[in-house]
Amino acid sequence: MTSTRTITVNQDVQAEKKRRAAELRNSFSQRGTFVINLVSSPGAGKTSLLEATAKYWQGKHKVAVLVGDLATERDAERLRPYVPVEQLTTGGACHLELALVERGLQRLPEVDFEFLFIENVGNLVCPASHDLAEHLRVVLMSTTEGDDKPGKYPKMYRTSGALVINKSDLLPYVPFSIDAAIADARLIQPDLAAFTVCSLTGEGIESWCQYLEEARERMIESTRQATECTAL
Amino acid sequence: MHEMSLVRSLLQQVEQLRRQHGGLAVEQIEVEIGPLSGVEPLLVGEAFDTLTVEQSLTGVQLVIQEVPLTVHCLKCCLDFEMTELDFHCANCNSSAIRIIGGDEFRLLNVTLQTDSADDSLHGVASESGTQRGSHS
Repeated sequence: MTSTRTITVNQDVQAEKKRRAAELRNSFSQRGTFVINLVSSPGAGKTSLLEATAKYWQGKHKVAVLVGDLATERDAERLRPYVPVEQLTTGGACHLELALVERGLQRLPEVDFEFLFIENVGNLVCPASHDLAEHLRVVLMSTTEGDDKPGKYPKMYRTSGALVINKSDLLPYVPFSIDAAIADARLIQPDLAAFTVCSLTGEGIESWCQYLEEARERMIESTRQATECTAL
Repeated sequence: MHEMSLVRSLLQQVEQLRRQHGGLAVEQIEVEIGPLSGVEPLLVGEAFDTLTVEQSLTGVQLVIQEVPLTVHCLKCCLDFEMTELDFHCANCNSSAIRIIGGDEFRLLNVTLQTDSADDSLHGVASESGTQRGSHS
Protein backbone atom coordinates (compact mmCIF):
# COMPACT_ATOMS: atom_id res chain seq x y z
CA MET A 1 0.00 0.00 0.00
CA THR A 2 1.25 3.42 -0.81
CA SER A 3 0.04 6.69 0.53
CA THR A 4 1.18 10.25 0.14
CA ARG A 5 2.71 12.65 2.56
CA THR A 6 3.46 16.33 2.14
CA ILE A 7 6.69 17.73 3.55
CA THR A 8 6.65 21.46 4.19
CA VAL A 9 9.92 23.15 3.34
CA ASN A 10 9.18 26.85 2.73
CA GLN A 11 12.73 27.80 1.94
CA ASP A 12 14.56 29.71 -0.77
CA VAL A 13 15.81 27.26 -3.40
CA GLN A 14 19.20 28.94 -3.01
CA ALA A 15 19.19 28.95 0.81
CA GLU A 16 22.23 26.68 1.09
CA LYS A 17 24.21 28.72 -1.46
CA LYS A 18 23.28 31.92 0.32
CA ARG A 19 24.47 30.44 3.61
CA ARG A 20 27.81 29.48 2.04
CA ALA A 21 28.12 32.94 0.48
CA ALA A 22 27.50 34.58 3.87
CA GLU A 23 30.19 32.39 5.42
CA LEU A 24 32.72 33.30 2.74
CA ARG A 25 31.80 36.99 3.02
CA ASN A 26 32.46 36.79 6.74
CA SER A 27 35.91 35.31 6.16
CA PHE A 28 36.67 38.11 3.67
CA SER A 29 35.58 40.64 6.30
CA GLN A 30 37.85 39.08 8.93
CA ARG A 31 40.81 39.39 6.56
CA GLY A 32 39.95 42.97 5.65
CA THR A 33 39.21 42.13 2.02
CA PHE A 34 36.42 44.25 0.60
CA VAL A 35 34.71 42.34 -2.19
CA ILE A 36 32.93 44.05 -5.09
CA ASN A 37 30.70 42.21 -7.58
CA LEU A 38 30.74 44.31 -10.74
CA VAL A 39 27.83 43.75 -13.10
CA SER A 40 26.73 45.36 -16.35
CA SER A 41 25.47 44.60 -19.82
CA PRO A 42 28.16 43.52 -22.33
CA GLY A 43 30.39 46.35 -23.49
CA ALA A 44 29.53 48.88 -20.77
CA GLY A 45 33.19 48.92 -19.77
CA LYS A 46 33.67 46.68 -16.72
CA THR A 47 37.22 45.76 -17.66
CA SER A 48 38.07 49.38 -18.55
CA LEU A 49 36.73 50.58 -15.19
CA LEU A 50 38.84 47.97 -13.43
CA GLU A 51 41.92 48.94 -15.46
CA ALA A 52 41.42 52.60 -14.51
CA THR A 53 40.82 51.66 -10.85
CA ALA A 54 43.84 49.34 -10.67
CA LYS A 55 46.06 51.99 -12.29
CA TYR A 56 44.82 54.66 -9.89
CA TRP A 57 45.57 52.44 -6.89
CA GLN A 58 48.90 51.07 -8.08
CA GLY A 59 51.33 51.09 -5.16
CA LYS A 60 48.55 52.17 -2.78
CA HIS A 61 46.25 49.19 -2.31
CA LYS A 62 46.53 45.46 -2.80
CA VAL A 63 43.92 44.58 -5.38
CA ALA A 64 42.98 41.33 -7.11
CA VAL A 65 40.42 40.57 -9.79
CA LEU A 66 38.38 37.51 -10.70
CA VAL A 67 37.09 37.91 -14.25
CA GLY A 68 34.08 35.98 -15.47
CA ASP A 69 33.51 35.36 -19.15
CA LEU A 70 31.84 32.76 -21.29
CA ALA A 71 35.05 32.14 -23.19
CA THR A 72 38.56 33.56 -23.80
CA GLU A 73 41.13 35.09 -21.44
CA ARG A 74 41.03 38.52 -23.09
CA ASP A 75 39.82 40.48 -20.10
CA ALA A 76 42.29 38.82 -17.75
CA GLU A 77 45.15 39.67 -20.11
CA ARG A 78 44.17 43.34 -20.11
CA LEU A 79 44.25 43.50 -16.32
CA ARG A 80 47.32 41.36 -15.68
CA PRO A 81 49.86 44.21 -16.05
CA TYR A 82 48.35 45.88 -12.98
CA VAL A 83 46.96 43.26 -10.59
CA PRO A 84 46.78 39.51 -9.95
CA VAL A 85 43.92 38.20 -12.08
CA GLU A 86 42.19 34.86 -12.42
CA GLN A 87 39.88 34.20 -15.32
CA LEU A 88 36.66 32.33 -14.50
CA THR A 89 35.43 30.86 -17.75
CA THR A 90 31.81 29.83 -17.40
CA GLY A 91 31.73 27.69 -20.52
CA GLY A 92 28.53 29.25 -21.75
CA ALA A 93 26.76 29.88 -18.45
CA CYS A 94 25.23 33.35 -18.31
CA HIS A 95 26.36 34.22 -14.79
CA LEU A 96 28.99 33.47 -12.18
CA GLU A 97 28.20 31.20 -9.28
CA LEU A 98 29.81 30.93 -5.88
CA ALA A 99 31.59 27.65 -6.74
CA LEU A 100 33.44 29.36 -9.61
CA VAL A 101 34.50 32.19 -7.31
CA GLU A 102 35.74 29.70 -4.73
CA ARG A 103 37.80 27.94 -7.38
CA GLY A 104 39.22 31.23 -8.66
CA LEU A 105 40.23 32.23 -5.14
CA GLN A 106 42.26 29.07 -4.72
CA ARG A 107 44.24 29.96 -7.83
CA LEU A 108 45.15 33.47 -6.72
CA PRO A 109 48.74 33.67 -5.48
CA GLU A 110 47.72 34.86 -2.01
CA VAL A 111 44.63 35.79 -0.02
CA ASP A 112 45.39 39.05 1.73
CA PHE A 113 44.00 41.68 -0.60
CA GLU A 114 42.40 44.94 0.44
CA PHE A 115 40.03 44.87 -2.51
CA LEU A 116 38.82 41.94 -4.55
CA PHE A 117 36.79 42.70 -7.66
CA ILE A 118 34.63 40.04 -9.25
CA GLU A 119 33.90 41.06 -12.82
CA ASN A 120 30.68 39.24 -13.62
CA VAL A 121 29.53 38.02 -17.02
CA GLY A 122 28.00 40.86 -19.05
CA ASN A 123 24.33 40.32 -18.23
CA LEU A 124 21.89 42.26 -16.05
CA VAL A 125 19.42 39.45 -15.50
CA CYS A 126 20.83 36.18 -14.18
CA PRO A 127 23.75 37.54 -12.10
CA ALA A 128 21.18 39.44 -10.01
CA SER A 129 20.07 36.18 -8.36
CA HIS A 130 23.52 34.91 -7.38
CA ASP A 131 25.28 35.98 -4.19
CA LEU A 132 29.04 35.75 -4.81
CA ALA A 133 29.97 36.61 -1.20
CA GLU A 134 30.43 40.26 -2.13
CA HIS A 135 30.12 43.16 0.28
CA LEU A 136 28.99 45.49 -2.47
CA ARG A 137 27.28 44.96 -5.79
CA VAL A 138 28.05 47.67 -8.29
CA VAL A 139 26.04 48.06 -11.45
CA LEU A 140 27.80 49.77 -14.30
CA MET A 141 26.01 51.37 -17.23
CA SER A 142 27.35 53.44 -20.08
CA THR A 143 26.00 56.58 -21.70
CA THR A 144 25.41 54.72 -24.96
CA GLU A 145 22.86 52.39 -23.36
CA GLY A 146 19.96 54.74 -22.80
CA ASP A 147 18.93 56.38 -19.53
CA ASP A 148 15.68 54.38 -19.26
CA LYS A 149 17.52 51.10 -18.65
CA PRO A 150 17.47 50.83 -14.82
CA GLY A 151 13.72 50.22 -14.63
CA LYS A 152 14.06 47.30 -17.03
CA TYR A 153 16.37 45.40 -14.68
CA PRO A 154 14.71 45.95 -11.31
CA LYS A 155 16.22 43.00 -9.48
CA MET A 156 19.76 43.99 -10.39
CA TYR A 157 19.28 47.60 -9.34
CA ARG A 158 17.41 46.64 -6.18
CA THR A 159 20.26 44.37 -5.07
CA SER A 160 23.02 46.88 -5.91
CA GLY A 161 24.60 49.46 -3.64
CA ALA A 162 26.21 51.69 -6.25
CA LEU A 163 25.73 52.77 -9.84
CA VAL A 164 28.64 53.83 -12.03
CA ILE A 165 27.85 55.58 -15.30
CA ASN A 166 30.76 55.14 -17.72
CA LYS A 167 31.75 56.83 -21.00
CA SER A 168 31.00 60.35 -19.81
CA ASP A 169 33.18 61.60 -22.68
CA LEU A 170 30.40 60.59 -25.08
CA LEU A 171 27.71 62.67 -23.35
CA PRO A 172 27.83 65.47 -25.96
CA TYR A 173 27.04 62.95 -28.71
CA VAL A 174 24.32 60.76 -27.19
CA PRO A 175 20.80 61.52 -25.95
CA PHE A 176 21.55 60.44 -22.39
CA SER A 177 20.61 62.25 -19.20
CA ILE A 178 22.71 61.39 -16.14
CA ASP A 179 19.97 62.79 -13.87
CA ALA A 180 17.22 60.76 -15.56
CA ALA A 181 19.25 57.53 -15.32
CA ILE A 182 20.00 58.06 -11.63
CA ALA A 183 16.40 59.05 -10.87
CA ASP A 184 15.12 55.91 -12.61
CA ALA A 185 17.55 53.73 -10.67
CA ARG A 186 16.66 55.38 -7.35
CA LEU A 187 12.97 54.59 -7.75
CA ILE A 188 14.05 50.99 -7.28
CA GLN A 189 16.98 51.54 -4.94
CA PRO A 190 16.66 54.89 -3.18
CA ASP A 191 19.97 54.47 -1.35
CA LEU A 192 22.00 53.83 -4.49
CA ALA A 193 25.31 55.73 -4.58
CA ALA A 194 25.99 57.13 -8.06
CA PHE A 195 29.18 58.05 -9.93
CA THR A 196 29.88 59.33 -13.41
CA VAL A 197 33.23 58.34 -14.87
CA CYS A 198 35.19 58.04 -18.04
CA SER A 199 37.49 55.07 -17.67
CA LEU A 200 39.51 56.09 -20.72
CA THR A 201 40.40 59.58 -19.51
CA GLY A 202 40.28 58.83 -15.78
CA GLU A 203 37.57 61.42 -15.14
CA GLY A 204 35.60 60.63 -11.99
CA ILE A 205 37.84 57.70 -11.01
CA GLU A 206 39.13 59.50 -7.93
CA SER A 207 35.73 59.89 -6.25
CA TRP A 208 34.75 56.33 -7.20
CA CYS A 209 37.96 55.02 -5.60
CA GLN A 210 37.45 57.18 -2.55
CA TYR A 211 33.94 55.80 -2.15
CA LEU A 212 35.32 52.24 -2.21
CA GLU A 213 38.00 53.11 0.35
CA GLU A 214 35.33 54.51 2.67
CA ALA A 215 33.08 51.50 2.12
CA ARG A 216 35.99 49.22 3.06
CA GLU A 217 36.64 51.25 6.21
CA ARG A 218 32.96 50.87 7.18
CA MET A 219 33.17 47.12 6.56
CA ILE A 220 36.26 46.86 8.80
CA GLU A 221 34.60 48.93 11.52
CA SER A 222 31.40 46.90 11.52
CA THR A 223 33.40 43.64 11.55
CA ARG A 224 35.38 44.94 14.53
CA GLN A 225 32.18 45.88 16.36
CA ALA A 226 30.59 42.51 15.61
CA THR A 227 33.69 40.76 16.97
CA GLU A 228 33.64 42.87 20.14
CA CYS A 229 29.99 42.01 20.53
CA THR A 230 30.54 38.26 20.41
CA ALA A 231 33.58 38.57 22.70
CA LEU A 232 31.44 40.00 25.50
CA MET B 1 18.77 31.77 -18.86
CA HIS B 2 19.63 30.45 -15.41
CA GLU B 3 16.33 28.72 -14.71
CA MET B 4 17.97 25.43 -15.69
CA SER B 5 20.61 25.68 -12.98
CA LEU B 6 18.08 26.75 -10.35
CA VAL B 7 15.64 23.98 -11.22
CA ARG B 8 18.50 21.48 -11.15
CA SER B 9 19.32 22.70 -7.67
CA LEU B 10 15.63 22.43 -6.74
CA LEU B 11 15.47 18.81 -7.93
CA GLN B 12 18.59 17.93 -5.94
CA GLN B 13 16.98 19.30 -2.79
CA VAL B 14 13.78 17.39 -3.51
CA GLU B 15 15.72 14.15 -4.00
CA GLN B 16 17.51 14.71 -0.73
CA LEU B 17 14.15 15.19 1.01
CA ARG B 18 12.73 12.08 -0.59
CA ARG B 19 15.60 9.98 0.77
CA GLN B 20 15.55 11.64 4.14
CA HIS B 21 11.85 10.89 4.55
CA GLY B 22 11.94 7.43 3.00
CA GLY B 23 9.66 8.39 0.13
CA LEU B 24 9.17 5.91 -2.72
CA ALA B 25 8.63 8.60 -5.32
CA VAL B 26 7.95 12.29 -5.66
CA GLU B 27 4.39 13.13 -6.62
CA GLN B 28 4.28 16.91 -6.51
CA ILE B 29 6.57 19.88 -5.94
CA GLU B 30 5.10 23.25 -5.03
CA VAL B 31 7.17 26.40 -5.49
CA GLU B 32 6.63 30.12 -5.08
CA ILE B 33 7.75 32.73 -7.60
CA GLY B 34 7.35 36.48 -7.26
CA PRO B 35 8.11 39.47 -9.50
CA LEU B 36 11.65 39.90 -8.14
CA SER B 37 12.48 36.19 -7.87
CA GLY B 38 14.81 36.50 -10.82
CA VAL B 39 13.10 33.60 -12.57
CA GLU B 40 10.32 33.47 -15.12
CA PRO B 41 7.54 30.97 -14.27
CA LEU B 42 7.16 29.86 -17.88
CA LEU B 43 10.88 29.13 -18.18
CA VAL B 44 10.93 27.37 -14.82
CA GLY B 45 8.18 25.11 -16.17
CA GLU B 46 10.16 24.38 -19.33
CA ALA B 47 13.37 23.70 -17.42
CA PHE B 48 11.40 21.43 -15.09
CA ASP B 49 9.96 19.43 -17.99
CA THR B 50 13.39 19.00 -19.60
CA LEU B 51 15.18 18.02 -16.42
CA THR B 52 12.52 15.64 -15.13
CA VAL B 53 12.70 13.74 -18.43
CA GLU B 54 16.50 13.66 -18.20
CA GLN B 55 16.38 12.39 -14.64
CA SER B 56 13.59 9.87 -15.24
CA LEU B 57 11.22 11.80 -13.00
CA THR B 58 8.41 12.18 -15.51
CA GLY B 59 5.00 12.39 -13.92
CA VAL B 60 6.09 14.66 -11.10
CA GLN B 61 3.70 17.60 -10.88
CA LEU B 62 5.07 21.11 -10.55
CA VAL B 63 2.76 23.63 -8.94
CA ILE B 64 3.84 27.24 -9.24
CA GLN B 65 2.31 29.80 -6.87
CA GLU B 66 2.81 33.25 -8.30
CA VAL B 67 2.88 35.78 -5.48
CA PRO B 68 2.95 39.58 -5.55
CA LEU B 69 5.83 41.70 -4.35
CA THR B 70 5.09 42.65 -0.77
CA VAL B 71 7.06 45.16 1.23
CA HIS B 72 7.25 46.59 4.72
CA CYS B 73 7.88 50.25 5.49
CA LEU B 74 10.40 50.54 8.32
CA LYS B 75 9.19 54.05 9.13
CA CYS B 76 5.39 53.77 9.39
CA CYS B 77 5.26 49.93 9.58
CA LEU B 78 2.79 49.61 6.70
CA ASP B 79 2.88 46.32 4.80
CA PHE B 80 1.68 46.63 1.22
CA GLU B 81 1.73 45.03 -2.20
CA MET B 82 3.95 46.86 -4.64
CA THR B 83 2.44 46.91 -8.10
CA GLU B 84 4.60 49.66 -9.62
CA LEU B 85 8.31 49.27 -8.95
CA ASP B 86 8.79 52.43 -6.94
CA PHE B 87 10.46 51.66 -3.62
CA HIS B 88 8.85 54.40 -1.61
CA CYS B 89 6.15 53.86 0.99
CA ALA B 90 2.61 54.20 -0.37
CA ASN B 91 1.63 55.87 2.91
CA CYS B 92 4.54 58.03 4.16
CA ASN B 93 6.82 58.09 1.07
CA SER B 94 9.78 56.82 3.10
CA SER B 95 12.46 54.97 1.13
CA ALA B 96 13.23 52.68 4.07
CA ILE B 97 11.46 49.74 2.50
CA ARG B 98 12.17 46.08 3.15
CA ILE B 99 10.94 43.37 0.82
CA ILE B 100 8.99 40.73 2.71
CA GLY B 101 7.79 38.58 -0.17
CA GLY B 102 8.09 38.03 -3.89
CA ASP B 103 11.86 38.33 -4.31
CA GLU B 104 12.74 34.66 -4.00
CA PHE B 105 12.28 31.37 -5.79
CA ARG B 106 11.04 29.26 -2.88
CA LEU B 107 10.41 25.58 -2.44
CA LEU B 108 7.15 25.44 -0.47
CA ASN B 109 6.47 21.73 -0.11
CA VAL B 110 7.02 18.31 -1.57
CA THR B 111 4.44 15.54 -1.74
CA LEU B 112 5.95 12.07 -1.53
CA GLN B 113 4.52 8.64 -2.14
CA THR B 114 5.31 6.55 0.89
CA ASP B 115 4.90 2.94 1.78
CA SER B 116 2.15 3.08 4.40
CA ALA B 117 3.01 -0.42 5.62
CA ASP B 118 6.47 0.71 6.62
CA ASP B 119 6.36 1.06 10.41
CA SER B 120 9.60 2.96 10.51
CA LEU B 121 7.85 5.92 9.02
CA HIS B 122 5.34 6.18 11.82
CA GLY B 123 6.07 8.85 14.30
CA VAL B 124 8.22 10.79 11.86
CA ALA B 125 7.15 14.38 11.96
CA SER B 126 5.38 15.32 8.80
CA GLU B 127 6.97 18.72 8.71
CA SER B 128 10.58 19.65 8.44
CA GLY B 129 10.05 23.34 8.91
CA THR B 130 13.10 25.39 8.12
CA GLN B 131 13.89 29.01 8.59
CA ARG B 132 12.91 31.45 5.95
CA GLY B 133 15.90 32.87 4.16
CA SER B 134 16.79 36.31 5.36
CA HIS B 135 16.31 39.36 3.22
CA SER B 136 18.99 41.87 2.80
